[in-house]
Amino acid sequence: MADYIVEMKHITKRFPGIVANDDVTIQVRKGEIYALLGENGAGKSTLMSMLFGMYEPDEGEIFIRGEKVRLESPNHATRLNIGMVHQHFKLISNYTIAENIVMGMEPVKKLLGCIPVVDRKKANSDIAALSEKYGLAVNPEDVIANVNVSTQQRVEILKMLYREAEILIFDEPTAVLTPQEIHFLLEIIKGLRDKGKTIILITHKLEEIKQIADRCAILNRGRLIDVMDVASTSTKTMANLMVGREVSFETDKKPAVPGDVVLEVKNLDVYNRQDFQVVKNVSFQVHKGEILAIAGVAGNGQVEIADAITGLIPIRGGSVILNGTDITHMPIRQRTLQGISYIPEDRHNYGLVMDFTLSENLALKDYFREPFCRNGVLDHQTFEENSSRLIEEYDIRSGQGSSTVVRSMSGGNQQKAIIAREVQLDSELMIFVQPTRGLDIGAIENIHKQMIAQRDKGKAILLISLELDEIMNCADTIGVIYNGEIQKIAAADTLTTEQVGEFMMGVRHADKTEHTYVGEGMNAGAADKEGKET
Amino acid sequence: MKKGNRTWNAIKIPLFAILCSLVAGGVIIAVTGSNPFRAYYALLQGSGLAPKASYANYKNILTDFFSYVNYFTPMIFAALAVAVALRAGLFNIGVSGQMLAAGFTATILVGYSGLGSVLAKPLVLLVGMIAGGAAGALIGFLKFKFNINEVVSSIMLNYIFQYVVSFLINTFYVDPVSRQSAEVSAASRLTLMDTPVGGLKMDIPLGVIFAALAVVLVWFLFEKTRLGYELKAVGCSRSAARYAGIRVGKCMVLSMTISGMLAGLAGVSYYLGYVGSIQPKVLLSTGFDAIAVSLLGNNNPFGIIFSTMLISLIGKGSTYMKSTAGVDSEIASVITGIILLFSACNVYMKWKLERRRQEKLNAKDAQNGQGGV
Repeated sequence: MADYIVEMKHITKRFPGIVANDDVTIQVRKGEIYALLGENGAGKSTLMSMLFGMYEPDEGEIFIRGEKVRLESPNHATRLNIGMVHQHFKLISNYTIAENIVMGMEPVKKLLGCIPVVDRKKANSDIAALSEKYGLAVNPEDVIANVNVSTQQRVEILKMLYREAEILIFDEPTAVLTPQEIHFLLEIIKGLRDKGKTIILITHKLEEIKQIADRCAILNRGRLIDVMDVASTSTKTMANLMVGREVSFETDKKPAVPGDVVLEVKNLDVYNRQDFQVVKNVSFQVHKGEILAIAGVAGNGQVEIADAITGLIPIRGGSVILNGTDITHMPIRQRTLQGISYIPEDRHNYGLVMDFTLSENLALKDYFREPFCRNGVLDHQTFEENSSRLIEEYDIRSGQGSSTVVRSMSGGNQQKAIIAREVQLDSELMIFVQPTRGLDIGAIENIHKQMIAQRDKGKAILLISLELDEIMNCADTIGVIYNGEIQKIAAADTLTTEQVGEFMMGVRHADKTEHTYVGEGMNAGAADKEGKET
Repeated sequence: MKKGNRTWNAIKIPLFAILCSLVAGGVIIAVTGSNPFRAYYALLQGSGLAPKASYANYKNILTDFFSYVNYFTPMIFAALAVAVALRAGLFNIGVSGQMLAAGFTATILVGYSGLGSVLAKPLVLLVGMIAGGAAGALIGFLKFKFNINEVVSSIMLNYIFQYVVSFLINTFYVDPVSRQSAEVSAASRLTLMDTPVGGLKMDIPLGVIFAALAVVLVWFLFEKTRLGYELKAVGCSRSAARYAGIRVGKCMVLSMTISGMLAGLAGVSYYLGYVGSIQPKVLLSTGFDAIAVSLLGNNNPFGIIFSTMLISLIGKGSTYMKSTAGVDSEIASVITGIILLFSACNVYMKWKLERRRQEKLNAKDAQNGQGGV
């Protein structure tokens, strides 16, 4: 009893139409890494939100250090030394790192002996000391907007440590990181445990759990399935328990039978809003029945390639040809009609109108044409039928069916809705950008299967992903982008993961590389770095 | 049944806000030493919704009611104008200016033209819509082309219209006695003034027919049409609308044009309906009150009818309330203010209601759960 630092007993939490947690009991020991594993909507985040005081459980009790508590707010949780790093960072982008960290508990000095002001100098030196103590390298004076995602995450961790958190909750911390950054983060988390912190890790990535966690609780549809020692359990067992059925890690895939060229991108140049060239002279072709994957570290221009092809950002130089038609300067709607499906990276701002209902969102690419619309008047019957069919076919789960407001749905189901809508367009070219970001194994498997099924139907598929595993699993051809330039394009079976990782880091421009690699096996494929581009 | 429930939920909150404000207003009236029930009744009497003790020659409850309708017609148009823009994510704070521009244009083009009634009245509506629509389109265009915030440009346009129109009136069209613009011809007025009907003399507002039509059309636009879907999508998320292939710029210009056209109709139904002249240098408060009225009506065209009638009832009845119940007419503005304040709290009330519903649902679930699942 005494050695449990956190106990959540018989927790039940209901939301409209859904039981998020159903009689869940977890007990976390001091100084361990405790993983919460489960699919999207399994109730991991809800459970932790209750521990962090964002919701109150409908039933059940929470004990911290053996004492029963009623957590009313995140502030209350913070006072009990509980900290949480959310999946979406909560930072003010035009403040410096130090300012973000000390906000709310700023060191104060008295100006002229009476006027209290924030002591910036002390804040900076405090943060510098803290970052050194825990090995979390940041420059306290950098502005958040100018630092990369990985650094922002370190800032979030420092924010907890500054508040003297003993119990650290990480919500899907690796979803936004590159393989190298993930490795680095896991080391940090291990380091924190060794310094006596208790860590609760929400994730659906089994390898991470295997690497660092001590124990692991598996949730499925709101219920606790099992708690197990990670060391003595195979990933296979964990995966099966989590999904509730047998899963295969290897994507089952027949060899590609590429046909004619569907998409041809020639010497593409794209500039972003700040007039900075983000895509430089990029050329490639995607054939019928082929998955071309573009690998790269986030922010190297890959998303802009997709946006340029679909017309969301203007093309400065070069051309894009779809099935023989030059679409370089076509309006977005016309491109869609020419045969482009687009699953965008940013679900919330692009893929969905969050305050529209599910049925309205599922018609977002069709609403203007028959049978959805006749002479400018919408046919709600068709909207309804279309959405019931897709909900059924793609197993989109929501509280109130077609009339659910999309904002209230879980991320995985939002993504399912986008994929359902885009796949049913039956376009010649399908662009998937980060299609499985933040999704769980079951959903990922499902999306990969659909992508490959579309390829087998003869669609041309452009896959842009930050997940190397996804690229290695699905691609027929791999292109690697670094700093806006394609470093290498080759058939997938001629490249190893290490080689691709190396091109992603831009080894040909090793002197310019910003990221320092901390993983192993980096030099394995160095010999091939002069490989010819196809 | 589901749909009915949602409608009820949408209405419940404004109703609750109104009830709270009436209670609060009643307390204030009681504190000033009057009888709140008498005061409220006087508001109804003043608006022709309850019989007065006595009437002047040629007048009865019906005359009062028609005069009340005449009073609120411009507000319906104005509130619709605000709602159309808001649904598309734009804030048309320049309704008053657009009303003035439309009213003035219609006054000089049609009001002074000496055209016959059959020709003049439709022309007034048409000119009003064109002038208001043009002003709205200009704001939308500035936003689309140069990314000028519509709030800033419409406030600036308010000033420009206000002073240019007052300059023109004072220079060319002023009535030396009233110091206002010369009265427009009876043929061009949208309100038939002092019309003898069965021994009564009534002001018959024709504008209200068009206002009702506008309500239905705006509802149809947003619920049933492709354009409405596009405008709402742009209002919810510009980036997602663009991704869907909707031409966001076109939608913004269009929604401001429609909004301006409605504001134009508000303008002519005021300047060439309710009154027959324009007071220079004065910008009506109608366009600003319309923002609150639209919000009180949930930006829903039918909701707007009710919120307009309510707010106008208090404004219209206040004179009679002063004379009979002895309550200062300023108290009417206070009550209006309280209503708007309470309705602005609707997010909180929605949350509270939602929570109560949730608890009930949970209790039910728990009971069912006991039966074993």
